[in-house]
Parts: sequence; structure tokens; C-alpha cells
Amino acid sequence: MASTITEARALAPAGVSIGSLLRKAARNYVLRRLAVAFIKVLIVVTLTFFLIRLMPTNPVEVYINELITQYGMSADEARNQAAALLAIDLDAPLSQQYFQYMVGLVQGNLGTSFRSKGTPVGAMIAQFLPWTLFSVGISLLISFALGMLLGMWSAYRRESVGDHVITTFSSIFSSIPNYLVGIMLVVLLGVQWKLLPITQMRGSMSPGMTPGFTLEFIKDIFFHAALPISTYVLTTIGSWTLAMKSSTIATLGEDYVTVAKARGLSEGRIITGYVGRNASLPLFTSLAISIGFIVGGSTLIEFIFVYQGVGQLLLNSITSRDYPVMQGIFLIITFTVILANLLAEFLYSRLDPRVRVAGGK
Amino acid sequence: MAAFWHNLKTTLRLLSHNKVGFVGFLFVIFFILLSFVGPYVVPLDRTTKLDQIYAPISLQHPLGTDFSGRDVLSHVVHGGRDVLTVAFLAGAISTVIAVVMGSVSALIGGKVDSGIMGLADVILTIPQFPLLIVLAGLLRFNNVLILAFILGILSWPSLSRAIRAQVLSLRERDFVEAARALDLGTGHIILREIMPNMASYLAVSLIFAMTAAVYAQVGLVFLGLVPLSGSNWGVMLQLAWTKGAIFYPKALPYILAPVMAIALFQLSLVFATRSLEEMFNPRLRTGV
Amino acid sequence: MQPSSPRPSNHIKEEVTLAVANLWVSYQARRGTVKAVRDVSFDLRLGETMAFIGESGCGKTTLGLGLIRLLPKTARIERGSVTYTRNGIATSVLEMDSEALRAFRWKECAMIFQGAQNAFNPVLRIRDQVWDTARAHGETNRERVRARVLELFRLVSLDPDRVMNSYPHELSGGMRQRVLLALGLLLDPQLIILDEPTTALDILTQRSVIEVLRSLRNQLDFSLMMISHDLSLAAELADRVGTMYAGCLVEVADVYDTYYHPYHPYTIGLIRAVPTLTGERRDLISIPGTPPDLIDPPTGCAFHPRCPYASDRCREEQPELETVGTRHQVACWNWQAVLADRGARLIMVAGQE
Repeated sequence: MASTITEARALAPAGVSIGSLLRKAARNYVLRRLAVAFIKVLIVVTLTFFLIRLMPTNPVEVYINELITQYGMSADEARNQAAALLAIDLDAPLSQQYFQYMVGLVQGNLGTSFRSKGTPVGAMIAQFLPWTLFSVGISLLISFALGMLLGMWSAYRRESVGDHVITTFSSIFSSIPNYLVGIMLVVLLGVQWKLLPITQMRGSMSPGMTPGFTLEFIKDIFFHAALPISTYVLTTIGSWTLAMKSSTIATLGEDYVTVAKARGLSEGRIITGYVGRNASLPLFTSLAISIGFIVGGSTLIEFIFVYQGVGQLLLNSITSRDYPVMQGIFLIITFTVILANLLAEFLYSRLDPRVRVAGGK
Repeated sequence: MAAFWHNLKTTLRLLSHNKVGFVGFLFVIFFILLSFVGPYVVPLDRTTKLDQIYAPISLQHPLGTDFSGRDVLSHVVHGGRDVLTVAFLAGAISTVIAVVMGSVSALIGGKVDSGIMGLADVILTIPQFPLLIVLAGLLRFNNVLILAFILGILSWPSLSRAIRAQVLSLRERDFVEAARALDLGTGHIILREIMPNMASYLAVSLIFAMTAAVYAQVGLVFLGLVPLSGSNWGVMLQLAWTKGAIFYPKALPYILAPVMAIALFQLSLVFATRSLEEMFNPRLRTGV
Repeated sequence: MQPSSPRPSNHIKEEVTLAVANLWVSYQARRGTVKAVRDVSFDLRLGETMAFIGESGCGKTTLGLGLIRLLPKTARIERGSVTYTRNGIATSVLEMDSEALRAFRWKECAMIFQGAQNAFNPVLRIRDQVWDTARAHGETNRERVRARVLELFRLVSLDPDRVMNSYPHELSGGMRQRVLLALGLLLDPQLIILDEPTTALDILTQRSVIEVLRSLRNQLDFSLMMISHDLSLAAELADRVGTMYAGCLVEVADVYDTYYHPYHPYTIGLIRAVPTLTGERRDLISIPGTPPDLIDPPTGCAFHPRCPYASDRCREEQPELETVGTRHQVACWNWQAVLADRGARLIMVAGQE
């Protein structure tokens, strides 16, 4: 990869046409992935913009009408206020509005909230998004790592009691919707058995807590995130385990594992470097899909545990019809998912040398 | 008639080969009967009985009563129809779209192919549930058909990719080549030659699309974003939540009822796919 | 394909590297117990190359895997002994604990598998896999390993630097086979087991692998056990040939005798089944019938249903390997009849000319 770039750079001054440079770039794995991700973002932004404008119930019009009827504003006043909040000239043709919106986006301007007057959407998201990323990220790490371990263990101890327990648990918990598990955690642990102080665990941190790298703060945020994390882990670990189990079983039958044993490698080295590393490869491809699913489903989980994440904010914006916030969050979630996809792909290409060479496919 | 019974017996024998799958299948049939026949047997209890709020499990109320003293069992019986209907319609719509998109993409190729696959890619990129929430905020999903249609439209891409790949590989096989040599037309080739070869795959995908639809619709209803009225497991769940029933230790049967109904239905669908996979794919017939 | 002349055997020492006695291996299958290796005994001397020939499914590969105890989980070594000797110190392979076995593999006995296409971990560079191997056997000096490997790669005509930095998928099938061969020599094992070393290779690569093996055998000091259904390969490289049928060793003889004076009807059938390039006209007959069922093998001599010489005794009693000439053993009740018959046919052929 790196050699292609330096090659291209070295050749450019010698009078190579832009066309061939582009062709070189198109052959480069990283650049191609980046371009695809960029195009996806562009399409999603455009779709969102036009989808909302072209809806029978255009939320901007709804808001303007609301200002007129509820606050007694004149039609012009209301229209100006809406335009100011959206940072868009509502009188301009749609194409120009789109252009303005895009320019605003590039500058990081997502508009201003209808409800919390004067608060930029970007600032609101910046306040809520880290909590979602934190809880979802930690859960993903735990369930991915633990799922791999359990799956490998199951594969090595096939048909043992432990394997049957793990496999049954995995297939049951991966089929039940995560919010039902969340509800049951609240009902059973919090209400029926009174094991956890459910109401104190609400929110993303205790009131009066100052963020910082203190043990107290870290303990506090894990206390508040414990239930969302447990729910995510419980409901996703099963699919990782099952995937890793079948992948490990397939890998154990590979010639290179037998040869590695014949070479007298230690069992530890074979498990990690030969079986584990190859068996986990297919899991990295589903990592991307999983990230999207968990971030998407966070709305429900954050609603159940009253966790102050971006999903909760999205839900609030919908119930209060705060359209700029809604649009901003939707875009941010989509960006996050696309970015996570990209990271997962690069990670995969780092792990599997065959992808880097055959990257054209 | 004899042939019919014979076929039925063969099918049942194949289904019962996989024990877990067969149990799943029986449960799916149970839920269908419960939701579509049950309402004619068990009348819906609509009368508020203030002296019977959160009554414990008894012969009269096998699943207890809710926040206004109504019988929970009757609500479970009446609450499945919409959930199952939306799930099946959404699954069917997404499967039909996926078959059309996937085979058109594979058979026509070129620009159409890259266009359809690009569209599929973009839809796959957008996180589904937030999109549904946003759509629910913009549109009013006050009709189960609209909900089913939207769910179906959003969930075809991954299946269509698989179908495209299958069609591409099946296209090269002898029987399709033969059909083409006879000039039987694209529609005929897809419906008569290619699809039967993918029956198991389609059935399994349909079921997985149904579980996704159950997840999404109950989720939306639970969040209060779909103003559905009447009995519905999702509505029961939402009411249990908003009426604060979860904080009453006595209300456990009431909360457990919709939770278990949804969870069991999902589980039985997923387990039923095991039998289906084995039934259509003889190589898997191991009985495990 | 025939050995041109009895090969000078001065490179073969008297010391026995590997002694296998009465080895039985069986698999647990759904239908019953597959007796894949039945009562096999042989001695392999230092510097000697012994080929094991036979149809597929006759237990050759199971025998090889059994010797380094790398059999699948469903397989079991029922009985027998495998004794490995180096510098006068004899160890019983079947009694080694897992750590001793791990150390024995590759350092003492390297097995080069058939179809080395997937023999390498696809996500590690060749140099890392070489280092893995060396480190597993207590090597700590990276430079020393590197120097040795570069030398070995040159020996098997590979470009050392390029190969070292490659991932397996960047090498061709023939290159991978030669890398595995070089890797097999890395720790100077005294015993090398080659399982179908040239199948799945194109004809030119086969040639170069054979050349490499031939020159290695002359340069280095090790015993070679070669498992192959390719008789021409055995003819080119082996000092001695063991014929296997239905899990049993049915004939063991020097390579020249195997090709020119075989006593067992099955060996004769195998040799006749191969066309010759030298233009000699022979009846190209394949052996009638199918290989036997190893779960329920025929009574008596397992070959009797397909054997033209089969008598009542063959159907009832199983023949043991008996010594019938200088270093020539055969397990057949009617070997003398076979011999007489061949003599008669030779006279007949001579008469026609």
C-alpha cells in the first residue's frame, strides 16, 4: 500500500497525467474505502435532507404554523425565526437550501434546537454522544472478546456439558430482543429481588460528579452504565460465541493446524497464533454490521435505563418534534456507523494479508 | 387424498428430524392458533375492576390482571394478531423485493446491477432503528399495513445480495442453461428454475426477516412512537411501562406475559429455521 | 519408471532409526471400527529411503500419522510399538508424554504432508512461521536460524529473501511444497516422512521436487519414509519398497526386486497397472475388483477376492510376512506358484521372440 503512494508521489512531478494518478489512487485499498465511505455519507445526507423536505408533513412548516398559532407571531416573524434556527434561507429554491445546508454541515453547523432555544444541535450532541459511544464501545469490546473465548472453548470441548450450556444460552439470548432483556433486568434485579438500586443507577453519572481521570468518576460512570452494558453484552455475546465456535471448528480441520502440530509448536502458540487468529477473521467482517445494530438499538436501551445518551436525546427530540436535533442526531449516528465500518474494514485488512493484495474485489 | 396424507407424513417426519427445530415449529403453530383462533374462544376483557388490580395468578385469571383489573390472558390472546400479521407481511414484502432486485441485478447486470447493489449498500449503511424512529416522527404509522410496508422496504438489501450471488452461480448450471437454450424467458427461468433451488434459503430468510420485523415493531410501539390502539403485545408492554406497573412487585405476571409471548415467539421462529434448513438441505440431516 | 540398476547402498548404515513392530491403528466410524493399519512391522535404517505404496485407502497415510501420533481424535493406536533411535539412545514413541512428543515432532521426525497448499498459516509471513518452528524447539538465536534457512532455501532452489518475506498466498503450489521441505530439514531431523510429496503439483514442479529430494538424500544424513501411490516416484528415490494392502504390509523388498521380482500378486498387479514410457510392451491390466472394506475385511488374506492365485487356504488363514530371499519378505501362501508362473511366462515371452 505504502509503496503505491510513494510511487505515485515520486512519479507525479515527472509529468504523469492526473488520470493515471487517479487510476493509481483507485487501485489503493485505503483510498478506495475512504472514497466509498465519503460517497455513502453524501448520499445519506442528501436523502435525509430531501426526505424531510418532501414529506407531506414538512416539519419546518409544522413548526412555523406552531409559532403562529401558539406564540401569536406573524407569518414573516415565524418564518424568519425558523430560518435562523435552521441556518437556512427558507425563501431560496430547494437546491440553494440544500447547498446552504451542505456548507453549514462542512463547517460543523447542524442547526439550532427548536425547543432549547439558542442551543446549537452540535453542542447537544457533543454532550450526549460520548455516553452512547462509551457504553456501546465497552459492551462491544466485552462481548466480542468474551464471545471469542467462549466460542473457542466450546469448539475445543465439543459435545461437553459446558459446550451444550454455552451453545443453548447463546442461541436463546441472541434471539430475544435486547429491550425485553433490559426490561427483565429492571423488573427482576431492581424490583422483584431488590438487588440493585435501579433509580440511583439512572442517568449517565451521579449529580455533582466532576468528570476527570479520578477513580471516583470512573467508578461512577461504570455504576451508571452497568445495566445498559450488561444488556448489550447479554444479547450480543451469543452470536459472537456461535460464530466463533463454528469458525473454530472449521479452522481446526485446516491443514496448517495439523502441520503446526507436526512442527511441534506449543499448544498455546497453536491456539493463539494459528487457530484463534484465523478463526476470528470472519468475525471482524460482522463487527461492522454489529456496530450499526447496537448503536441503532441504543435508543430502546437508553430509554429503559434512562441513560443520557444520544438515543435518549433522539427520542426526546421526536416526542417534542425538535426537528433540527432529530436530523442532526440521525446524521451523527449514521456517520458513526459508517466510520465504524471503515475502521472495522481497515482492522480486517491489517489482520488478513490476503485482503490487502486482492483488495480489488 | 392418499397422496396428500403421504406428503404430509413425509413432511412431518422430516420436520421432526431435528428435535429443537420441531419444538420451534410446534410453538409457531401454537402462536398462530392462539392469535387467530384464540380471540373467538377467549373474549377480550375490557371492564375495569378496581378491586382486582394486579390480582395474583388464579384459575379465573391464569396470568393475573393488569393495572385496571382486566384479565391479562385475554389481552395476550388478542394481542398477537397484529404482531404476527405485521411480521409476516414485512417478511413477505422484503423477500419479494429481495427476489426481484437480486435476480434482476444478476440477470441484467451492468449499470442496473451496480445501481441496485449501490442502493442496497446505502440502505444497509443507514442504521435501521433510528431511521424508523425518525420516520415514525414524521409519518404517523397508525396502520399496521403501513408499518409492515416500511419494515419490508428497509430490510431487503442483505437478502437481495445473497440472491444475486445465488442466481449468478445457478445461472451457470446445466438446467438453467437448458432452459435458456429453449428460450423460456427470464421470468420463467427465475420462477421455475432458479427459485425452487433456493426454497430453503428463502424460507429461512423470510423467518429471519420476520424476527427483525417483530423486533422493530414492538420496539417502536414500546417507545410510544406508533399510536396503535387495541390489544397488541407491544401496547401491553408500553402500558406496563408507562403505568408504572414494573415498579409493583405484585404486577410481575402482567409484565412477564407480553415479554414471554414476544420472546417465545422469536425463539420459536429462530428454532424453526433449523428444521427448515435440514428439511431442504439433506446434507444437514444429522438429527442433532 | 524402473530403477535402472540396483542402487549402490553404501550410504545406508546398519543402525536402525525406526523400528515398528505389530502396529494396529483403528478408527471409530459410524458403521463400526475401521481397522486402518493391521499388524505392521518394519525397520528403517539410518540413511535408508523406504517407500510405502498401495491404493488410496490402504492405510499408508494413517501409518505415517500414527508414527508421530498425529491421528485424528476418532483414531486409536490399539497395539504395537514404535521405537526411535538416535545416537544409540532408543525411545518408545508411543510412551512419550505430550511434551516429549512435541519435542520429538519435527526435531527428530518431520512429516511433510501431501498437498502443502494449505500447510502454512495464511496470516503469517514465512519467516515468522520458520521462527515459530525453531523457537518451539528451544532455538533462541534468530540470526542462526535465518542463516540456516537461507542455506536450505537455496538448496531447494528458492529465492531466500523473497520467500522469507512472503505470505503463503504469494507463493505458488510448488514453491510452498519446497518451503515445507526446507522447513522439514531446518532442525536436522533424523527421520523424514513424506506423504505424497508430489501429488497436486504440475509435472515440471514434480520434476524439480524429485530432483531436490534426490540431491538432498545424497548430501544429508537422514532416513526417509515415503508414502506414495506414484510408483515411478518410489522407483526413482527408494532403496526399499513396502507394499500395503488393506492396512497390512504384504511385501517388503529392495526396490530392484520389487520391480523385477515381485512375489505378491498384488504388487505385480500394481506394477502392471502403470504404463511404461520405455516402449516395452506389457499387458496393461488393472487389478479387478474394489479395495476391501476395512470395517469388515475379508477372512484370511484380505486380497483373496481379487487374487487370481487364491486358494482355500487364502480364504481361511491370514498369511504372515515371511522372509523369502535376501531382504525380501512377502505375505502370501502361494508366492512360489506366483514365482513359477512368472518363470513360465518369461520363457513364453522369450519363446515368442
